[in-house]
Amino acid sequence: MPLPVPLLAVALVAPPAAAGPVDYARDIRPILANACFKCHGPAVQKAKLRLDTRAGATKAGVVVPGKPDDSPLITRICAADDDGRMPPPEAADRLNAGQVAQLRAWIARGAEYPPHWAFIPVRRPVVPEIRNPKSEIRNDIDRFILARLEREGLSPSPPADRSTLLRRVTLDLTGLLPTPPEVADFLADRSPDAYEKAVDRLLASPHYGERQARHWLDLARYADSNGYTIDGPRSIWPYRDWVIQALNADLPFDRFTVEQLAGDLLPDATRDQRVATGFHRNTSFNEEGGTDPEQFRVERTVDRANTTAAVWLGLTAGCAQCHDHKYDPLSQKDYYRLYAFFDNCDEPTLPLGGDPDLEAKIADLQRRTVESRLAGNDAETKRLEAEVTKASKGVPTTLVMRERKEPRATFVHLRGDFLRHGDGVRPGFPSTLASPAVATAGRLTRLDLANWLVSPDNPLTARVAVNREWQKFVGRGLVETENDFGIQGSLPTHPELLDWLAAEFHTDWSFKRLHRLIVTSATYRQASAVRPDLRARDPRNLLLGRQARLRLDAEVIRDAALSASGLLNPKVGGPGVFPPQPKEVFAFTQSQRTWTESTGPDRYRRGMYTYVWRQSQHPLLTTFDAADAQTACTRRNRSNTPLQALHLANDPVFVELAAGLGKRIEAQSALDDPGRVRWAFRTCLARDPSPAEAERLLAYLESQRRSDPLTAWAAVARVLLNLDEFITRE
Amino acid sequence: MTPDDALTLARTRRHFFRDCRVGVGAIALGSLLNRDARAAEQAPPPRAARRDPLAPKPPHFPAKAKAVIYLFMAGAPSQLELFEPKPELNKLHGQKVPETFTQGKRFAFIKGDAKLLGSGRKFAQHGQCGMPLSELLPHHRAIVDDVCWLRGMKTDVFNHGPAKCFVNTGSPQFGRPSMGAWLTYGLGSESDQLPGFVVLQSGPRGPRGGAALYGCGFLPSHYQGVPFLKGPSPVLDLAPPPGYDARRQGEFTAAVNDLNRLRHAATGDPETEARIAAYETAYRMQSAAPELTDLSKETKETLELYGAEPGKPGFAANCLLARRLVERGVRFVQLYHTDWDHHGGALDLGKPLETICREIDRPCAALVQDLKRRGLLDSTLVVWGGEFGRTPMGEKRETTGRDHHVDAYTMWLAGGGVKPGLVYGETDEIGYNVTENPVHVHDLQATILHQLGLDHTRLTYRFQGRDYRLTDVHGTVVRDILA
Repeated sequence: MPLPVPLLAVALVAPPAAAGPVDYARDIRPILANACFKCHGPAVQKAKLRLDTRAGATKAGVVVPGKPDDSPLITRICAADDDGRMPPPEAADRLNAGQVAQLRAWIARGAEYPPHWAFIPVRRPVVPEIRNPKSEIRNDIDRFILARLEREGLSPSPPADRSTLLRRVTLDLTGLLPTPPEVADFLADRSPDAYEKAVDRLLASPHYGERQARHWLDLARYADSNGYTIDGPRSIWPYRDWVIQALNADLPFDRFTVEQLAGDLLPDATRDQRVATGFHRNTSFNEEGGTDPEQFRVERTVDRANTTAAVWLGLTAGCAQCHDHKYDPLSQKDYYRLYAFFDNCDEPTLPLGGDPDLEAKIADLQRRTVESRLAGNDAETKRLEAEVTKASKGVPTTLVMRERKEPRATFVHLRGDFLRHGDGVRPGFPSTLASPAVATAGRLTRLDLANWLVSPDNPLTARVAVNREWQKFVGRGLVETENDFGIQGSLPTHPELLDWLAAEFHTDWSFKRLHRLIVTSATYRQASAVRPDLRARDPRNLLLGRQARLRLDAEVIRDAALSASGLLNPKVGGPGVFPPQPKEVFAFTQSQRTWTESTGPDRYRRGMYTYVWRQSQHPLLTTFDAADAQTACTRRNRSNTPLQALHLANDPVFVELAAGLGKRIEAQSALDDPGRVRWAFRTCLARDPSPAEAERLLAYLESQRRSDPLTAWAAVARVLLNLDEFITRE
Repeated sequence: MTPDDALTLARTRRHFFRDCRVGVGAIALGSLLNRDARAAEQAPPPRAARRDPLAPKPPHFPAKAKAVIYLFMAGAPSQLELFEPKPELNKLHGQKVPETFTQGKRFAFIKGDAKLLGSGRKFAQHGQCGMPLSELLPHHRAIVDDVCWLRGMKTDVFNHGPAKCFVNTGSPQFGRPSMGAWLTYGLGSESDQLPGFVVLQSGPRGPRGGAALYGCGFLPSHYQGVPFLKGPSPVLDLAPPPGYDARRQGEFTAAVNDLNRLRHAATGDPETEARIAAYETAYRMQSAAPELTDLSKETKETLELYGAEPGKPGFAANCLLARRLVERGVRFVQLYHTDWDHHGGALDLGKPLETICREIDRPCAALVQDLKRRGLLDSTLVVWGGEFGRTPMGEKRETTGRDHHVDAYTMWLAGGGVKPGLVYGETDEIGYNVTENPVHVHDLQATILHQLGLDHTRLTYRFQGRDYRLTDVHGTVVRDILA
């Protein structure tokens, strides 16, 4: 029988416990938003009343600061008769006594509407003291987490098994499994800083940059094709490799930002800095005949504005494309000021090496190709496409941004329709986020935008960035709505920790130092097992009284299976590759493309190098919730479906990898059956099997020997690659 | 499901296992569960208890229909050759379009000086409703009074890919959840052996837009459309690897799940239970899906009605498959048939149009008749149409055709609580604009959800700080056409 429901109802919720004085954002705004804003809010103001601003509420006299008894707001919500009460019965339920008491207390204290937390500059908070001397504290992160747990009367979980911990941190930092010797070395190293040494080894691995780059490429909507219906191939993998190298070199996040948004505008821009501007060339590109090129140029520009706002500001700017943002202080004009930064770009192809005139030649051919395609001249288009291929033969190319000499005139698009021009606008920062001092006499450029994003007076960038990094290591951001730091977003579970991390990150913008800080904390190192007391009190694990068990990302599932099979080709970078996939899948798109299966070592490259064909992504990627490469993906889903089971169990790639692992197990000729089972467990799960697990797997081995002695170990390997634990980091 | 629900269910599940467990030895557990796997079809635990995210969910209000079959005529059929006789257009053939019609409009290919193009097709009125049908759709005469004809369709988007995306997902931008994904998200599916949302394709090529048309966007991937493949193994990776028969595959599933259960005992993570359920469903799907696609069990009479042959893929077989899917509790069946893009040139309004009409006419009519005689039409909403219509003006390539037209075109609905034998909507004398009872794509989407018991303004999903829905901020249920 399930436990009675009321027990669940007392479970903890996201905001801090309602202790202390009433807080507008935490206590009052949710009440008003649910009960009042629909008719008296940003969008609609019935009776000319809006309650979402102090001016609106007090001007109308509905709220009299300091005097709850004289405030019609209170009398109306307490009206005895349903006819007169607010909110009216058809709109919402009557407010309960607790809510009324909170509103009274808030008005009594002056009915303040303090500014939204995320728009206030970051101030480094004081690290809290921890009372319990037995608490395990490895760095200041733990003090923030423990302080909150202590307040709730909860205790953290003990450290994870050392082998679990090594598998966890290896997967999180490099996306690969630890090898059995790495596990053995780690278990044998009893020095107090054994774990820190392992972390440093992983941070220095070239595979660190690969794993972290794949997270960033989700934001960059990276793909190897143009998208829309024609979905032709494109060459932009040098941008992908730039990201890997930048993260391996620990390029500080401010430089990382500036080079991607405006590398071409830096004085004496290097080739790498130009390659970095590929970030905003990852937009889809419509090649369909009969399209209006301006319409799709506008769509790419809109995507660039929206992506920039989502990735650096954690704001849903897209809402303001058609109208002033309903919740956040972003007017439609603000939106088109942001848009204007990107409205002034050409989109050239950069050859990496070769003849110095090649860039101009390719540009000319590409211009003619586009014109021919739009005119519906198929034969000429084909001929020109072949010429482009010929011209760039042997020389890798990549897509970059370039500022136009003559700026385009930018206008507000009325209702988001690019054909309906409103007022003219110039590039500018959102007015409520930037101090007026940053406005200059000259025209602002993408470089100014990038510099402003990482400047100390920007309240959002560092918070948004550290929140996403935190999410990588515990599965959820401190702000759960990692893509919305606006007023509608959720409040941070640990606001002080978020600001402390943001302040730390801001000192040197080093990803590696931030990651080291997180993964060496006791918080990160806890066991992930679900504890009964936590399950009852904090079912969503918001307070982090334990680590999280997280299903691996699509590419990492492949990488883990490749690691276990011994077939992994560890090569870093280079053009996309074509691991096997069922033919019928790829034959599905409109324009037939060829998927020439990679042979030799390229068949066994890491998942992140699989050619990303936007409209027909490899089934591994779609089945396991990879980013769709259409818009910036700030967090992947983690679904759990029968199609995933079919894929792992039956897909020829995984069957091949299981066979590879089977051969490796058999090759352990010095070991008996139980020894081999133990070896296979260590290889896949970095731990020894329990007696029950070993017994079950040996029984399965026997049954498979009866079916086919030659493939019995491959069958055992296949079971291991299909375990929930195999595709999970615990 | 909220995490709280998940945990409640996890408790149920744990007790289920505790009560069932007879011994602690792994082998005893294994053999019990082995038997369990074989007997899974007889007595599976309730789907909700298995944390199946596709377990049926109650609608917002009582539903008229349980399932949708969407016959997507990809490329956009010409309403002027099929449903819209326009004597005035024929009279004006060869003349310039009066500017009052084209001012401020944009087209994909034709330029401002396009000439009107009369239709050479013969029309006659049919049935009690008197709907005119052209000679190209003789089988449709049999269902003319079962169908609700929407002659005032309008859309916003005039290129194929974005327009298909608009009809399927409510937005011309790629990356939003499709209608089938929204419906399975809102209602789950009654089948636990087949995907809740199935995609069937026929014609010379896939629909422009590809997988984005039936994707799940930002919804979890449980809800994405599963494209069925041609051949005996309709779902990707359905067939066990070489050397594995059903018994050996059963042993595999049992071993995986026994080990998963042992790990679950150590970690207590509800996700592991969901994984166990997924392997059980996948195991069942491996026998259910081939049975489903085996049309040889259908009677000769039924096969003839559709014009289908076992083992021969195509639109007729897909229509019959759609009925079989709906019979087995699948929520949303999306068919695409290409290619209706009759601009002239290789695809014109002569032979190529006649061929594709022959391909679809009989199976469409058969599907409606077959559902009706089996008592399934009341609970199944059939939708027929393209991503837009075609212009009254001709487009001259090597031969003549028509360009994309967003302002007026025809679709039809049948069953699912929609008025049968209703001709709804009128266009002007040349078929350029809707003059009466327009139905916008968002209205159609709102209406489809309504018939399934869902309020399109309440079926939302929070993403990037905003509650998204199929109809964006638009759409009105077309109450006039509801039975």
